[in-house]
Amino acid sequence: MAIRHGIDLLQRWRRNPILTLEDIPYRCNTVFNGTPVKVKDTYYLIIRIEGQQGYSFFALAHSGDGLHFEVEPTPCMMPSKHEPWKTWEENGIEDPRLTVIDGKYYIMYTAVSGHGHYIALAQTEDFHSYERIAIISEPGNKDGVLFPEKINGLYTRLDRPYGKGVGSMWVSYSPDLKHWGKSELVCAPRPRFWDQFRIGASAPPILTDHGWLEIYHGVKMTSAGPIYRIGTIMLGLENPARVVGRCVEPLLSPRTDYERVGDVGNVCFACGAIVEEDNTVKIYYGAADTSICVAMTTMNDLVESCLECTDEKTCVGGTHF
Amino acid sequence: MINLTAGRDIVHRWDGNPLVSISDLSFRCSDIHNAGIAKLNGDVMMLLNIESLQGHNLFYRARSRDCINFTVDPKPFMAPPTSGPRAIYETFGIRDPRITPLDGKYYITYVADSELGMRLGLACTKDFQDVEFLGYVSQPDVKNGVLFPQKIDGRYALLKRPAGGNLWMSFSEDLDFWGDEQVIMTTRGGYWDASRIGAAAVPIEIDQGWLLLYYGAKDTSAGPLVRLGAAILDREDPSKVIARSDIPILSPREKYERVGDIPNMVFSCGAIVRDEEVWVYYGASDSCICLGTARIDEITEFCLACAVVQDYMHSMEDK
Repeated sequence: MAIRHGIDLLQRWRRNPILTLEDIPYRCNTVFNGTPVKVKDTYYLIIRIEGQQGYSFFALAHSGDGLHFEVEPTPCMMPSKHEPWKTWEENGIEDPRLTVIDGKYYIMYTAVSGHGHYIALAQTEDFHSYERIAIISEPGNKDGVLFPEKINGLYTRLDRPYGKGVGSMWVSYSPDLKHWGKSELVCAPRPRFWDQFRIGASAPPILTDHGWLEIYHGVKMTSAGPIYRIGTIMLGLENPARVVGRCVEPLLSPRTDYERVGDVGNVCFACGAIVEEDNTVKIYYGAADTSICVAMTTMNDLVESCLECTDEKTCVGGTHF
Repeated sequence: MINLTAGRDIVHRWDGNPLVSISDLSFRCSDIHNAGIAKLNGDVMMLLNIESLQGHNLFYRARSRDCINFTVDPKPFMAPPTSGPRAIYETFGIRDPRITPLDGKYYITYVADSELGMRLGLACTKDFQDVEFLGYVSQPDVKNGVLFPQKIDGRYALLKRPAGGNLWMSFSEDLDFWGDEQVIMTTRGGYWDASRIGAAAVPIEIDQGWLLLYYGAKDTSAGPLVRLGAAILDREDPSKVIARSDIPILSPREKYERVGDIPNMVFSCGAIVRDEEVWVYYGASDSCICLGTARIDEITEFCLACAVVQDYMHSMEDK
């Protein structure tokens, strides 16, 4: 029986998922949360693979059309074997986000150790050798994404620190990618909304005429666990801590079997998007922490979605402000 | 006045404890949590973390000529702003001030508390009259920020306790941008500091490096037991722990440490050096400020002796 896919703004590709366990040339537990970049006519996707041992690492996939991917025979980035990174990454590396600045490829990812989760930054020129730059957050932080340009002369990132168990979206700045500061809140979960429990950055921000468009994840907690959905928010061009607009409704919610059923069911979790020359957009997302999928839309629809709500208080969220 | 022989701990309690309690204040409040302390032109200045009856935390200034008798101002010295960009980070108040003398100024690190979590704020004063907010030096949830009283290799150095309950450190050239995040000391399973640890007082320079007074918490079915311990950090690279006390140097035993809003707690935010001694000002049960003293060489030698035993134990484990 055909499933109706017209109910969300994002259009699932009819042949989702694009990568599953079957596509990985070695034994592993799951594949999910991939971050894309398009170099000339080749699409590269750095994907998170969870090994059967239980920790995660990264592999590289490539494609000519952004839909059919081939995974390389060996992983591209493993948890480090050299101190001090060995300790920082002893429980794995997770959720990569790829950003291109001045022709350099940066991967912001979550390092997991016995001391918690924190944000780490690495760089690559060829997608095969990766140079680690620094641990750039305190523990208790995830979902770091780097802006593709400096803002007011400073590198800029979004992230999701846990304050009292609540994940909100924050912004931080750096002169050198190693020292970070001037952190402030961008936006918080919205009471009564689909993103009421936790929110965080998903894709690296996209520059638009209206500001920085951020594709984010919003979580609602239920008695059966969390539901992860995809939303959009527009941030100020010069001051990304200023929220210009925010979607009212999620753009994509778990509905299909591959989004409902898996190691962590009811999860749609984007880690990046490709804007094509014709202004169509491919959003790459992990489904149920078990496969990688793609959904399509246009820049116009994305921009419209995050201008649905421009009331400042609702846009920022939270309860006290 | 100081009784050097009394007490079962390395730190000796002052006979006249508590030093500052609610009855010493000229205004109503909920309780006195703890206090940062610093010397200023022959006087001793204290910043008291006081919780108002509404339930919000703020700082009052107190002054003493003799390090024992303190006069508390009737009005707050630092209070959370109600408007402006800082307001959302301090809706629940400001807590746990530490005062670091550095470059002819006094830096105050404190916890900004709100529904967004707890993060470290940094303020500065030259005279304890005017205070200037410099910025936040962490994201949530981070507590117990303590700035070193000297730059280390040209950089400011900050101790802190982020999520996870371990002692971390970071460095900055300008106090704005921080890096080299690293964990330097962790909780010890089965020990008195099994659940959480964090810096207490501003590190004290000694011949062997830096003497760090820290607090350790052990969770029990009735809540945490919070005690004070000591460690020695390397002078050139304070991320290296040279020695660490096996046992607490001060544990809750007296009634004023056992009974209060948060019972069974001794929690210091500051200490001063007087001749050969360290005078530790600590909050007892989150309800009053007390004084304990110890000889610096006694704490140091004790830490080093513990290190010898720990090294021996580790060498046995390897065999």
